[in-house]
Parts: sequence; structure tokens; C-alpha cells
Amino acid sequence: MLKILTTLAVLLGFSTTAVADYTFIVPQKPGGGTSVWAQIVATEMEKYLDEKIVIKHIRGARDIPGFNKFHNELQNDPKTIMVSHGGNGVSFLNEKVDYNYADYESVGLMNLNIIVASRKDHNPYGANKTAFAAGSGMIPEGIAMTLLKCGSGLTTEQYIDCFKRKVNWVKGMSGGERRLAFKRGELNGTRENPAAFKKHVQPTIDKGVAGLWFHHGILQADGTHADDPNYPGYQMEKLFYAANRTAPEGDLYAAYKLVKSFRDGMQKALWVGKNNPNKAKLIAALKQVATNPESAGAVEKKVGKYQWLIGEAGDAHRDTLMKLITPEALSTLVRFNNEAFGIKAVYKDTLLAQK
Amino acid sequence: MIEMIAALIGGVLYGLLIGIIPAAGATTGLVALFGVISYFAHEPYLGVVFLMAVVAASTTGDSFTAILLGIPGANSAAATMVDGFPLAQQGRASYAISAAVTTSTVNGLLWGCLVFLLLPWYTSLLMVLGIPELWAFTVLALATVGFVSTRFWFRSLCAIALGIFLGMVGVDPNTNEPRYTLGWFYLEDSIQIMPVVAGLFAIPELVNGLLTKSRTATIVKSEVLEGMRVVWQNRWLGLRGGFIGAFIGLLPGLGGAMADWMAYGSAVAANPKERFGNGNIKGVIGPEGANNAQKATSMIPTVLFGIPGASFAAVLMSLFMYLNFELGTPDIALDTEFFTSMTFGFLGATILVAFLCIFLIKPISYITSVPYKYYFPVLLTLIVWTAMQYTGGWEDLAMLAIFSALGFFCKYYKFSRPALLIGFILSDKIEKLSIQMLALYDVDSLITRPIFLILVLCILGIFTYSFIKKGKIDYA
Repeated sequence: MLKILTTLAVLLGFSTTAVADYTFIVPQKPGGGTSVWAQIVATEMEKYLDEKIVIKHIRGARDIPGFNKFHNELQNDPKTIMVSHGGNGVSFLNEKVDYNYADYESVGLMNLNIIVASRKDHNPYGANKTAFAAGSGMIPEGIAMTLLKCGSGLTTEQYIDCFKRKVNWVKGMSGGERRLAFKRGELNGTRENPAAFKKHVQPTIDKGVAGLWFHHGILQADGTHADDPNYPGYQMEKLFYAANRTAPEGDLYAAYKLVKSFRDGMQKALWVGKNNPNKAKLIAALKQVATNPESAGAVEKKVGKYQWLIGEAGDAHRDTLMKLITPEALSTLVRFNNEAFGIKAVYKDTLLAQK
Repeated sequence: MIEMIAALIGGVLYGLLIGIIPAAGATTGLVALFGVISYFAHEPYLGVVFLMAVVAASTTGDSFTAILLGIPGANSAAATMVDGFPLAQQGRASYAISAAVTTSTVNGLLWGCLVFLLLPWYTSLLMVLGIPELWAFTVLALATVGFVSTRFWFRSLCAIALGIFLGMVGVDPNTNEPRYTLGWFYLEDSIQIMPVVAGLFAIPELVNGLLTKSRTATIVKSEVLEGMRVVWQNRWLGLRGGFIGAFIGLLPGLGGAMADWMAYGSAVAANPKERFGNGNIKGVIGPEGANNAQKATSMIPTVLFGIPGASFAAVLMSLFMYLNFELGTPDIALDTEFFTSMTFGFLGATILVAFLCIFLIKPISYITSVPYKYYFPVLLTLIVWTAMQYTGGWEDLAMLAIFSALGFFCKYYKFSRPALLIGFILSDKIEKLSIQMLALYDVDSLITRPIFLILVLCILGIFTYSFIKKGKIDYA
């Protein structure tokens, strides 16, 4: 104990300048979900690297400045590893950012899923509007519920009109406010990653006042999405088919596939600059984290039991995502953001050129 | 047990240090621990004791610089400063600190104990208080601005309008587009609270002291016992402040500063014939307990639901996660050792800090008789360090410089800095809650909510009362 206190006292004095072998750049404030995930992964990787990893938070609007700083200043530093999350993927598609996934190499990433629930006192397919928390992180849910509520065969314009009639897109809510509002019944629907779903939504389901609505599925190597074995039968595509007797298709569906893939397919990811001399060592350590039951369990506790794609598998996964960027999907996504969600988005034809 | 006491002492010493650093506060102190929390990984319950001690100690410690130097140790200590600093200038620093520490300790202990009794009813309370009630509570807090305005009523109005405007800088929640950022991307994440507090309050007082080559005051006599006695004489005032803080703490996300100003406003309103802002001890006793009570009760939503009751609680929750405690899960509710460690850390630190502070009041109070030039460099360094906790870049320094200039302007031209701060803190919350309320409720559904209606009547009453009784305090 005395050792702890002594170490603590010394480290407090140097906490901002602590000497470390590696630095994880986390593009959000301390305490955010990705920040906690990064700390867990770093702690587990240290065991196999036998080297110290520190977390450096670089905060800023919509978590963009941290990733930009990595791209512009730090990617060639062999000791710097970038930690990105799903929100960075959404911004990458339709905001002015400097960073570009194509410029880095993957140490590893987690391909997650997001689960959506609805209150039982509300029929999500009925006449009343479904009240759902808005935000750029909710874009895939917003499009998915538009497709589910509005059916097949509509033009983008018709879908936008249908969204406005059937969804109450409630702005200005934080994650905590959203969770409480759902528990209280002020919101009819909510969404979480699998671990947070168990923590925040499952108790409401267990009380019998809410139920599973849909999930987005898990991105496969060929760019399709598979049903989640943790929540079988609730994949959006399956529900859509059951209701419409036809598979979802068209520009809005392409936009949905694109944005959910970039958000959930690289929900948590570690990147280094190209030709980083430490990459092999980092990949080896991450493989140990993914396979050692104790280490893997520590990570699963935070995000749920999902697959790691490490090293080349991560690069291949990124390449798969890039192929989903088509002019139709991108332009529809940008249009839906601007006209339905009221989220300012820009069409970046440079993304198409680098597929 | 020895290890728990050692963790407690470590947390208290660190928490006091953080509390004393101008504008830093519990949140900053906890953020600085991310690099070292893993050292408790093998003894996580000691980590819980340590962290709770940091919270309790920093919450009491932040009164010292507020009262002694007119520089709030945290944004939530700014209300204590309004009357505490004038008392120090009158040579009564030990009297003011003693009263502040006593009120903090009593409310910290009272609400720290009650938290565990409140747990079974909390879920029901949370289900009753929806978005309209949260909106009304926040507007009610804004209404207290009338009680902190100066006799220059129009200037106070300008100050609150400016505060509200500055609080809206960032991204428009309706359109998601940058708003009032002048094309500066840094501002899209809104203006951070630390440079605002440091610039408005800390820098002007420091520089003023340096330029006038003065000291705050000369200690007339030590009045530690008198400070305790006056708390007893005004016990209901102190307990009311604690109750306000405790209630605000229960409502997730509303924050400690709001509780302090509401408690300060209630002290002013309850004593209509007295002047405030020039060293009224009731202006210290009123708000001081609110902060500690709020810290205690905000642990309820944080622990039970994993929903932070305030910004410090969000950081604390993450630190607990690093120690493998997943708040908001059934597991944690059944972990009696976790609750024991939390209770021991918070209550133990509250008691220990009280003894330390009472013991240290006399020597620390003599800082007011030391010329500013001796501690100016140290405090300035700490203030700059605090302000740079956001990005660490030049932009943080630029914001500190801008708000320091604004602080000078407000101080010398009597534009109420407390009013500006209240407007800044609350405008974002009020705007977002208004958007949510209007999206989810119509008039017909709002008038069926009795608590909401009562609160709206209170808001109207307070606005009317404060308008009629305008010009209450001397501090700007």
C-alpha cells in the first residue's frame, strides 16, 4: 500500500508528462466510452508488450480534432497509435475532416453491432410518431426506422417526407438523458451497443415495458450484414423482408448500409501510420489480448462479445468498407442528413476517387 | 484497515490540493488521475476510498481560495466567494472559512448518510420528474440571477445576456451547424468552463492585487469558534442550502454550480432587509453546504443507473470502470464492499478535512496578509495549468486571455460577474431542455403535471420578486 501511495505521489507530479513507450491518442474527453475501452485495451496490451502505454485525450468538436492531429502531425511517429470509434466513421463520410482511413494501417478493430429497443406502450409501426433521440451518431437508426416504418419502393424524397411524418427526432439529448427519457417513457425508442444494452435497456425489457425492436447486423467480409447470434431474427433486413415480402433496396438502403458499416464496422479501432516499425509487435500483443480468456473477458465486459479483426484482417475490413462508397449511397446519405435529420453534411467526391 | 486509512489520507491531501488550485475543482482533479488509477487495479476498493476522498476533500477545499483571495477553487465555489472574499478583506478570513467548513461538513455528513437511506425511493422520484420538471428547475436556477445582480440593474441584465450568449457558442442543437464561432473550429465544442471561471474571477483579482502592491487584509483576530457559532445561529439557512444542493444532485446532469447559486439566491431572498456582497456571513453559509450535499446525492443516479449526476460524476464513473466497477448494473448494487468503501471514503474524508481545515484555518488565513507578489507566480502558473486542461494548445490560453480581459472589464465597470457566470452555465441546458420539452410535450400535457406547474409559479414569483427588489448585492 505504501508503495502505491508513494508511486501515486510521484506520478501525480508527472502525470501530464509521464514517460511512456507508446501513446494511444483518444479523440474524446476522459470518461467517454471509447476512452474507457482504450484504457482497458492498453492495460491488457501492456502485459504482452511489457512496455508502458499512456492515453492522451485530444478533445474537440464531434471528436474530430484528435483524429485530425494524428493525421496531420503524429501518424509518422512510430510510438503513436490512433484510437477511433464509430462517430469518426460517420464524420469521415459527410463532414470536412482531414483524416482518411486509407492512409493508415490497422493494428486491429472490433466489428460491433448496435441494438434498438422500443417501448411496449408504443406501436412503432402505428400512426403515432416514434420519439427517438437525434444526433449524428443516430443516423443509422434514423434511416433504419424510416425503411421499416415506410416500407419499400419509395423515392428518397418520399422517404424524407415519411420520416418527418412518422419520426419525432428529438434534438439536444445527451446519452444519459436519452437513457432516462426512455426509462420514463418520454422516448419510445432507444439504442445501445450490446454491453450498454444489457446494462441500460435490458432491465426495462425485463420489467415488461419495452422490447427488442431491431439491430443492424454484423458486417461480413463481402460487405453484407449477417444476423447477430445474440439477438437472432431481429436484423433490420429480416424484419423488413417479413413486413414487405421483399428485400430492402434502392438508394436509401445503400446509404444505410454505408453509414452503419462505417459506424459499427469500425466501432473501436487502433491505427498506426504506414510502415510503422512497431506494427508487428503491437499486432502480436493485440492477438494475445484477443485470445487470452482473461484479457478478452476484460474487453468483452465493456463492449460485449464481438470479433476482433487484427492486422491484415483489419486492413481488409477497411477496404471492404471503402467499396461501399458509391455516388448514389453517398449523395443519398448527405441529402437525408441535410433534409430529414437537419444535420449539415457535405458531399465529398474525393471519397469516391480513393475506393 | 490501515491501508484504507492511508488511501483516505492520500485522497484527502490530493483533494485539498486540487480544491485550493484556482478554478480547478473535483472534475479537473479526477481527470488528472487517469494516468495513475491503474495502480489501484489490484486493490480496487482502496481506489474507491481514494477517489471518494478526493471528491469530498476538493469540494471543501475549494472554499479557501474563494474566501481568501476572491478566486474560486472551482466554479461551484464562486457563490461562496461573493460574500466570503469581502469578509477576508475586512480581516475576518478565519471567521468566513470556519463558517464555510462547518457548513460544508455538516451538510456533507448529513447528506452522505441520507444518500443510502434515499436509495429505495430514488427510482420512483426519477420516474416522476421528467423533462418538463428538469426544464423548470433549470429556469428556476436562472431566476436566482436577480438575487446576485448589483445595484446597477441594467448592467446586470447586460451581464446575464452576455453569459447566455457565450453559453450558446458552439453548435446549434437544432440545426447542428456552428453558431457564433466566427469560423474558429475550436469553439464548435463550445466555450469550456475552466477558462471562463479563471478569466472572470481569478486573473482580475490576482493582477489587481499585484498592481496595487497590496495584501488582501490583515488578520484582525482568529475567529474560528465564532465561525462555528454563527453556523449554529443560522442552522436552518445552512440546512436549506444543503437541501437545495441535495435535490439538484439527484437530478442527473444539472450540476453543482447551479445548486450553489440557487442556495445563494434563497439566502438573499430570505433576508430581504440585509445587504449581500459586502461580507454578509449568511452569503457564505447559504451556498456552501449545497456543493457538498450535491456531490453526495449525485452519486445516486451515478451508481444506480450509471447516469452521471454531474460532470465530476461522469469522470468518476470512468475511473471506477478502470477499477472494474461497472456502475448501473445489478452487480454493483449487490457489492456491499463497494458501498462500504464509498461511504468510508466520502464520510471519512469529510470528517478528516473538517479537522484539517479547522486546524489549518489560522495559519492559512495569514496568506491574506502576504503581499500578492509572493504568490502571484505560483497561482498564475496553476491557473494557466487549469485552463490548459482542455486541449493543451494555444487556443486554451487565448480563451483565458479573452475571459481575463472580460473579467477586468466587468470588475471595474460593475457588470455582475456572477450573473454572467450563471447565464453562461445555464443557457445551454435551458436551450436543450426547451427543445426536448417542445418536441415531446404540448400545452395540454404540460398542464396535467402538477410539479411542473408549481415550479412555473415559483419561477414567475421569483422573477417578479427579484425585479421589484432589484439591486441586492455589492459584489460585481
